[in-house]
Amino acid sequence: MSTKLAPSRLGPSSIPAQAGIGLRAEHYDAVLETRPPVGWLEVHSENYFGAGGKPLDYLERIRPHYPLSLHGVGLSIGSTDPLDRQHLAKLKELIRRFEPALVSEHLSWGSVGGRYFNDLLPLPYTDEALYHLIARVAQVQDVLGRQILIENPSSYLQYIESAIPEWEFLVELAERTGCGVLLDVNNIYVSASNHGFDAGGYLRAVPRHLVREIHLAGFTVNRFDDGEILIDTHNRPVWPAVWALYRQAVQRFGPIPTLIEWDTDLPELAVLVDEVQRADAILEERHARAA
Amino acid sequence: MLGLRELQIGFAAAVLDGAGDFDQHVRAAGLSGARRLQIYRNNAVLGLTGALEAVYPVVRRMVGEEFFRYAAAQYIARHPSRSGDLHEFGEHFPAFLQSFVPAAELVYLPDVARLEWAYHQVFHAAGHPPLDLAALARVPAERQGALHFELHPAARLLESAFPILRIWQVNQDDRTGDSLVDLSEGGVKLLIVRRENLDIEFCPLEDGEFDLLRALAGNSDFASACERAIAAQSPFDLPGCFRRHVSQGVLVAFHLPSS
Repeated sequence: MSTKLAPSRLGPSSIPAQAGIGLRAEHYDAVLETRPPVGWLEVHSENYFGAGGKPLDYLERIRPHYPLSLHGVGLSIGSTDPLDRQHLAKLKELIRRFEPALVSEHLSWGSVGGRYFNDLLPLPYTDEALYHLIARVAQVQDVLGRQILIENPSSYLQYIESAIPEWEFLVELAERTGCGVLLDVNNIYVSASNHGFDAGGYLRAVPRHLVREIHLAGFTVNRFDDGEILIDTHNRPVWPAVWALYRQAVQRFGPIPTLIEWDTDLPELAVLVDEVQRADAILEERHARAA
Repeated sequence: MLGLRELQIGFAAAVLDGAGDFDQHVRAAGLSGARRLQIYRNNAVLGLTGALEAVYPVVRRMVGEEFFRYAAAQYIARHPSRSGDLHEFGEHFPAFLQSFVPAAELVYLPDVARLEWAYHQVFHAAGHPPLDLAALARVPAERQGALHFELHPAARLLESAFPILRIWQVNQDDRTGDSLVDLSEGGVKLLIVRRENLDIEFCPLEDGEFDLLRALAGNSDFASACERAIAAQSPFDLPGCFRRHVSQGVLVAFHLPSS
């Protein structure tokens, strides 16, 4: 069922239903020199917002060898401040230059009153917030002239104002704007554990046709005297419970491009490739059953 | 019940400014609302401190991790991030250090920070093709003094009363051996420039060379820039200096104002 798109002048133009890795500066040379067997690469868009220099030069040289996805962490799409037009213009220019197959942002906010947290902050899930997000996602897609994916975040609190389950909020947003869903299976696990909802139920609530990409990463358990909380730290391998949830996700959604994210305490590239192979094996099982 | 904007403003006041009454909007289940807000405060401060550490590794190494984190927390409170692109964060850190009382004894620290910010800017600046020599050769001799030149977007000039280049060099991670710098070595005039291969070089300049480039960067015409260079240093090899900075891609463009 894979449709082969003509490769663009830049390199492969569609993302295969395989596992890929987040490309980080520490691995630029290793990726260029060893061309690891990963299906695709994802980068944080803002890391390439500079006007020139090494980051853009490396991406130019690596792009011909792998399909690419741009993942934004700083647009603050859920903020009630006006959208940052300059940020959006830089993203649009990056899309023009590197022709990514996928472009994604988060179901979160990161700034208010012009002050930025540079973090992914939780939204209240209310009708008002839903209408706000629908307008904002539509605005971003208009400016970029393409579909974006929206990712479910990890969260450490819920507002008493929230009246809609996150999965309903996300699905409604996607159905109303035509955006796709980037389902972060680790984030579902983390938030389900932190807020006491059923992670499997989250998966079953998301219609199959909306999911375009899956994220996997490692979390950390923080213990306090009044309880424990899972923090989405991206600094270790995927946990067994998250692999199990991923298997459920692949059973439900079919083979979907899957990203291994690792952002701090980066290991050697080979460790990421091992994680990719684990994910690929689960995707293969599903391929085999479908055949 | 608060609306979306009021919730965001209240969250920011609680997490960034430590305002006290927002936890009534957070569901306490197991962990308290205050604890949950504290997690977001830690994440924000850690993330922004990490961004400062990435730009200012030498300052961090000189003052130590604990001091740096303390200074970073003060800086973050006084100069919040204004962009979703973390690379823009930290511009005011040198000026902040200048007036940061606990660091007052380290008189050279603000200038070391200026060097690191310049390096950061040069690292991410735009590229530029070399100067069009054929076009320059067509400028009539009597008009040459009126020329204005542009420095490469990835070039910065920095002057300090302290030996900040030596301080920077002995505080690199891969450096072994003696890390003492005698402050009486005196100041330095520096050109920080990214070369064609994207490596960044620090070039200590003599007075004439520095003043020539600084005058040109400040949009002086060529004649007055040359006058300043010659006044600063005698003898001064003006043609050699000019040719070198054109051929090495420091001076990359020119224009002739309409007379």
